[in-house]
Amino acid sequence: MELAAFDLPTFLRGATQEVFDTMLSMDLSEQPSRDLCGTSRIVGSVSLAGKISGTINIHVTDPFAHHITANMLGMELDEIDSDEEVHDVIGELSNMIGGDLKSRLCDAGFTCELSIPSITSGKDFCIESRGWAVNERVYFQYQEHIALIEAFIKNGG
Amino acid sequence: MGLKILTVDDSKTIRMIVKKAFRPYDVQIVEGENGVEGLALAAKEKPDLIILDITMPVMNGAEMLAKMKEEPELKSIPVIMLTAEAGKDNVMKIVQMGVKDYMVKPFKGEQLIERVTNILPLSEKKADAPTEEEGGSKYFSLDGDIQMLAVPAKILRPTIVEVETQLKPKLKEMTSGGIKKMILDLTKIKETNVSLIKLIITILDNSQMAGVKVLTVAGATLGKELKDFQETGNIPIHFSVDEAKAAF
Repeated sequence: MELAAFDLPTFLRGATQEVFDTMLSMDLSEQPSRDLCGTSRIVGSVSLAGKISGTINIHVTDPFAHHITANMLGMELDEIDSDEEVHDVIGELSNMIGGDLKSRLCDAGFTCELSIPSITSGKDFCIESRGWAVNERVYFQYQEHIALIEAFIKNGG
Repeated sequence: MGLKILTVDDSKTIRMIVKKAFRPYDVQIVEGENGVEGLALAAKEKPDLIILDITMPVMNGAEMLAKMKEEPELKSIPVIMLTAEAGKDNVMKIVQMGVKDYMVKPFKGEQLIERVTNILPLSEKKADAPTEEEGGSKYFSLDGDIQMLAVPAKILRPTIVEVETQLKPKLKEMTSGGIKKMILDLTKIKETNVSLIKLIITILDNSQMAGVKVLTVAGATLGKELKDFQETGNIPIHFSVDEAKAAF
């Protein structure tokens, strides 16, 4: 199987919606693309390395990240003690979505390993990725909140 | 005496989810952040079961398990592996490690409990044992011969897990005590969502199976919203607890 034939759009959407539904009881709806570069947000990232290499980023706005954290940990927004809790939750979400994608890639013959999640937070930044064989960006909405899930994959490491 | 379960995961989030899942049970949870801590805690605490993540810094779950298998005192402790990867090769690798079971993330707390009960007999905490802060029966209270079930303002996943986990034993306790009436109090609810609808259906279905009659109380707005959902459209809504009591 060629990497170009890997159905990244379907798998990425499926993994994201399943994780948000199972862990957070959040029903995400897909949205048209928009510019998040100037928005204060938290990005959870995991990398893939092996027969393919790649990266999966989950961008959530600050308010959404706090909403997700409160929901996941069963607490009120004002009970969130520190950024550490928020980063841990967003990292875990990226691990679950990345883990699902990694499994699909391995099952398709693209054996690879998944990294431990890392977190980037701030505003006025963009992530540009070039030179990938396949890539997908999907914007989701939950209530007034926006999330961007993106994956970039290429052959070899 | 309750059981002792060791959860080893670098994510505090997952350890909290595991802890919450076991709240209704007579289980002591011990936590470790990586394989090194996990090994030390396993040797010190001698847990009845270990819930072990695979991908962790310092020492991963596979390495920790391999070291446990070399220790006569630890090798027979049952292990449930947690993984974010459901791929065939990964699953085969986990099975070959000699674990009792494995769970793929994302998972619901009740799914974890189901897996654990296949390995260990879990007993529920005594009705008067847990405090509200410990997540005890804070949703249930008895008013004469009517069991009240008050759903909190915000429906979060842990809330659903707690209510669902406590519901069946509570219904059993009610029927054995001759209590056949329940009021489902939704007056605090501020937001209707799919989780709330699912929770209401679960409560009504389980109660019906147990032979318990449930009357639902909700504010005017929520009452109208529930009418708009196919699943809850036919449920009679009462607008105050007194009105529901009078209707029994």
